[in-house]
Amino acid sequence: MKYKIGIDIGGTFTDLIAIDGKGNALVHKILSTPHDPSEGFVQGLRELAQMAQMSFPDFLAQVDGIVHGTTVATNALLTLRGAKTALITTQGFRDALEMRRGVREERYNNRYVNVPPLAPRHLRFTVDERTESNGNVIKALDVADLEPIVAAIRKQKVEAVAICFMHAYRNADNERKAVEYLRAQWPEGHADTPFITASHEVLPSIRFYERVSTTVVNAFVGPIVSRYFHKLLEQLREIAYHGPLLVMQSNGGVVSPDVVTKIPAVTVLSGPAAAPTAGAWYAQRMGWANCITVDMGGTSFDAALVVDNQCITSTDGSINRYRVALPSLDIVTIGAGGGSIGWINQGGLLQMGPQSAGAMPGPVCYGRGGLLPTCTDADVVLGYLNPGFFAGGHMNLDKVKATKAIDQNLGQPLGLDTVQTAAGMYRIINSNMAQGVRQISIERGFDPREFLFIVAGGAGAIHAGEICRELEIPMFLVPNVSSIFCAAGMLLGDLKHNYIRSFYTSFSHLDKNRFLELFMEMEARGLAQLAAEGVPVSQVERRPVLDMRYQGQYHEVQLDCDWHDIVNLHLTAIFDAFHTEHNRQFGYSLREENTEMELINLRLQVVGMVEKPKFTLSGSAALSASEARKEWREIYLPGSAHMQQVPIYDGDLNICGATLHGPCIVEKVTTSILVPETHDCQVDTLGSFIVYQKGMESVLGLVELGTIHATTE
Amino acid sequence: MTNNQTSKQIEGIDPILVTIFQRTFRAITDEMSISLTKTTRSPILCEAKDFVTGLYDEQGNMLEQTENLPILSFSLGPVCKEIIRQYGNDIQEGDVIIHNDVFSMGNQNNDVAIFKPIFFQGLLVGWSAAKGHQADIGGAVQGGYNPNATEVWQEALRIPATKLYEAGILRKDVWNLIFANIRLQMVQEDIKAQIGACTLGERRLAAHVKKYGLDVFLRHKIALFDATEKMMRSEIQRIPNGSYLGDSRVYYDGKHPGSQFTIQAHITVEHEDITFDFSRSSAQTKGFVNGTYTSTCSAITLTFLQMVDPNIPHNEGMIRPLHYVVPEGTILHASYPAATTFGNHLCPQVADAIFKALGPAVPDRITAGWNHLLCSLFTGNHPVTGRKYVDICFLGLKGGSGALQGCDGYDHIGMIDASGGVLDQDYEMYEHQTPHLLRKHEYLQDSAGPGKWRGGMGTYTEIELRGPDTTMVVFGDGDVEPNYGLFGGKGSVLNRITLDYPNGETVVPKSKDIIDNIPHGTVYKQIAGGGGGYGLPAERDTLSLANDIGNELISLEQARKEYGWKQ
Repeated sequence: MKYKIGIDIGGTFTDLIAIDGKGNALVHKILSTPHDPSEGFVQGLRELAQMAQMSFPDFLAQVDGIVHGTTVATNALLTLRGAKTALITTQGFRDALEMRRGVREERYNNRYVNVPPLAPRHLRFTVDERTESNGNVIKALDVADLEPIVAAIRKQKVEAVAICFMHAYRNADNERKAVEYLRAQWPEGHADTPFITASHEVLPSIRFYERVSTTVVNAFVGPIVSRYFHKLLEQLREIAYHGPLLVMQSNGGVVSPDVVTKIPAVTVLSGPAAAPTAGAWYAQRMGWANCITVDMGGTSFDAALVVDNQCITSTDGSINRYRVALPSLDIVTIGAGGGSIGWINQGGLLQMGPQSAGAMPGPVCYGRGGLLPTCTDADVVLGYLNPGFFAGGHMNLDKVKATKAIDQNLGQPLGLDTVQTAAGMYRIINSNMAQGVRQISIERGFDPREFLFIVAGGAGAIHAGEICRELEIPMFLVPNVSSIFCAAGMLLGDLKHNYIRSFYTSFSHLDKNRFLELFMEMEARGLAQLAAEGVPVSQVERRPVLDMRYQGQYHEVQLDCDWHDIVNLHLTAIFDAFHTEHNRQFGYSLREENTEMELINLRLQVVGMVEKPKFTLSGSAALSASEARKEWREIYLPGSAHMQQVPIYDGDLNICGATLHGPCIVEKVTTSILVPETHDCQVDTLGSFIVYQKGMESVLGLVELGTIHATTE
Repeated sequence: MTNNQTSKQIEGIDPILVTIFQRTFRAITDEMSISLTKTTRSPILCEAKDFVTGLYDEQGNMLEQTENLPILSFSLGPVCKEIIRQYGNDIQEGDVIIHNDVFSMGNQNNDVAIFKPIFFQGLLVGWSAAKGHQADIGGAVQGGYNPNATEVWQEALRIPATKLYEAGILRKDVWNLIFANIRLQMVQEDIKAQIGACTLGERRLAAHVKKYGLDVFLRHKIALFDATEKMMRSEIQRIPNGSYLGDSRVYYDGKHPGSQFTIQAHITVEHEDITFDFSRSSAQTKGFVNGTYTSTCSAITLTFLQMVDPNIPHNEGMIRPLHYVVPEGTILHASYPAATTFGNHLCPQVADAIFKALGPAVPDRITAGWNHLLCSLFTGNHPVTGRKYVDICFLGLKGGSGALQGCDGYDHIGMIDASGGVLDQDYEMYEHQTPHLLRKHEYLQDSAGPGKWRGGMGTYTEIELRGPDTTMVVFGDGDVEPNYGLFGGKGSVLNRITLDYPNGETVVPKSKDIIDNIPHGTVYKQIAGGGGGYGLPAERDTLSLANDIGNELISLEQARKEYGWKQ
């Protein structure tokens, strides 16, 4: 009985899932221990052992792999509690990091200030060295110039050093010299030894601002992430866990901790990256190649895309306005969540968020001192949340207080009654979230109606129906384990290593040998890394990407290519794919004009496929819908805009195969699902809830899912 | 109806739907904007984002705009009204109309607009539009900035409202006529991208009207305008009633060395209405340093928007309480057929005059002087690629913004017309796309105007110019009079461009100038000044000052002299 374990440590909760070889899952949730997250990690394991009714050592002996998602790097960036960081860069470019190319995101707001640079100016040092755009070194680095900088770094007790020189993506000689010299100045592993990182190791690609920012972010989170993993590995040794530990990266793949301690910036989206990874698996299982995953938490709403069974990655990301250009899953985050506050602007119009009541004081109905009406308060007033069964009854919601807050703050000034106002709050926040989904899909050139819509996270399933209605998406899916969706997703991630080499050339002047050489070099690195992680070559997939554009354009398209086409230099096939992709994204191509194309970067993702655990639902025999009905309650029907008595089902019972007719509510300990009056809901063999427009069963192939014999009321 | 009642439910209006409409309009114009960024070729559009996208109703009233560069933003509505007036009933589904003419509401010759009418069940319900600064627009000088111009034809091809497509059919002859008069093929491609963005806006707004029905659309659109108007009116109400005066100066018209002009704002606040009267400004110049009516109205609007709640939606309702008096014949509204290409760049002076005027009334809402634009545009041949390049040197031009009460100015933001919407080129891409070598681009020590809150930092840029046939066009200001500090704060350093030739000669171009045949190896040096300071420098908080000294943004010498630093 071998277990695979997924552990997702967030700011508030640590989610755990253990799956045995037969697919039986143990699911657990404990409070995080932010002062030292590794404590919660081990405590969670202990409690899983108890749930498995085994001694801790026996249980650990049965664990043959742990995958871990962490917000250590994310939080360091969000709270600005990273390392004291220095930057060494080319003379003349001391301020590129802080200038951010001169952007002010809010044009008309003169009180909008720049973000503090992660390496302050007095810790940004320049050296007299220079490489040209063609790689020619016009001024070699004299390491003697680094002596006073090392002295300053010692004196200032700097904890991390980033090095980024002009055109180092093309020729890293000077940068390499600097790194070697610096690393030789401190004994390895000593407490005073700073974390040292160079741009050619982190992101060897053209565009100086992107590279310097990413390298500095890497330095800023480096010592904290390294320390954390050092401690975690030590604790795992102490409890005598000897199995593998893998870490979730922002790109949706997993890696060994030694890669993370070298390039910790790969974990800045370690937590949320698991949702689309899990989504891809659920969608594929249902025969869908495309899905959108959404996760509505207390303060924010994340949306991500899976296309052709692959999570969409992007290099355009930034966190807290700090640019990180490493490939990471493309996740749109907007300020909409259960805690989003409703308010009225000067024009008398109702608004929701982005201000949030958070967990403290939280929504008014929590009774923890919150006074401003939130989305959750509206959900209570509209009957979607059961005041006596929130978090399975562990917490009572005060509907009276919620009603009063909505009336006083919003209803009276708007001249609307309580239900009308709450319904308005509900519609506006849904509209805001729909814009987030639109941003991740339509604005990227994808039609959301062709995607399976997967809802993770507690509050999302009450709102999903309306988000889908706004975007004309016919159905959505709520996984049985939606609240620990991310932890489950971690077990589904493959080992992924990303490499990039800048190679700026027009195709008519392409040096084919160099093109192949660069790809072979990246491949060799990837294979070596995967071999060290125990992946046989037969389990390796190579995913090349070319950053291309029409000559004269500034912005490039990242074109997914076939490895076969790359190694055989099938350029015509590549060009053809480029025209097609350009047309899809921007509505036109220049295929007929025969326009010259340019290459900017070569990328290779080397993937080690891991065996995926089985998920099955254990427990008692399936019940019919009527057996799972626990009560009737009055709720607001968003389509017909009135309150009505509807059945409430216990979603924690095994009702696989049942069809629940809307309007109704499915209540689980961790989430509630609203099935609107226009929809029905089927429960599949994994216990997932599939909510779809009435009459669409056959179209969606749902019949296939009702293998356990569908019962209807 | 009194204003207290407007927030109550009006018959047939769903106040929630009004908010949803506003969000949807904004999502559409944002989407149009993203499409343009990704498809255009001229770095002025795709890197610097010198364009705007918008939606208008069937009468040309603004529904929403995405204003990457505010100065060209507030002329689309007036042009749309001009088109409706000109074409009357001759507007059909599938029409595409092009326009740049500054004598029929265009703001600048280079800023070319595309409009597409939007129909629902055969009825005109609105317009989508995109306007962008083109890399070339014909005329005597590539790039459009001709300091020698005295008439519009020496600057540009005039395009009054003209149908490029009629009912979905391309008018090939018209297309050819226009582009036969424009130097770069790239401009055709960029216009195609603008048409693409408008098509996107057309589809999305039509779908929106279909979803809610025409009647609901019309009524809620009006309710949105009314609600927005109310927001703007309550902001204006916070300014004490009165009549306020402020002025600023413009130096050198490109023709007459030493020439000087005055811009004067006479602002009247009456309860919920505000009038900006610039009648007392100088008469128009004989050169190209002249505003157009809409460039000036844009400058006024974008400046005033910086003084109010930044969350007010941008639609017709926002503009209703703002009144503009800019008589023809003045430097801010030149009469036909004057040269006007410099007009957008009078925005800093218009902003100065407004801030100075309203300072005594609302000292917490105005900023000290922003750095004025001084800009250079390079053309030449790239020896490696053999191709011609056109590059506006955004890297050099970005100075600091003025400080305000409680807040330092923004470092290296660039002119107020863009307010941080225009970006530096990436250094490495710059060295691939031009033959030049960027030697330095950093904050310039002591360039921030001293004050309790200091101005934003200015910058120093140094470029080794390489390759043959390099020509430089310079346009701008800020090299004569330092910008102003407020309430005891001080101004910053002046803008300055110099060329150090390999033979040891140093050339200082005029603020409007063309210099050609610049030899390989010449070193270009530019100072973009900082912003003005606010409040007495001696009152600057010690920690902030110590940080600025430690970060070498302020020298010990300046700290002692200006701030009374004792250490």
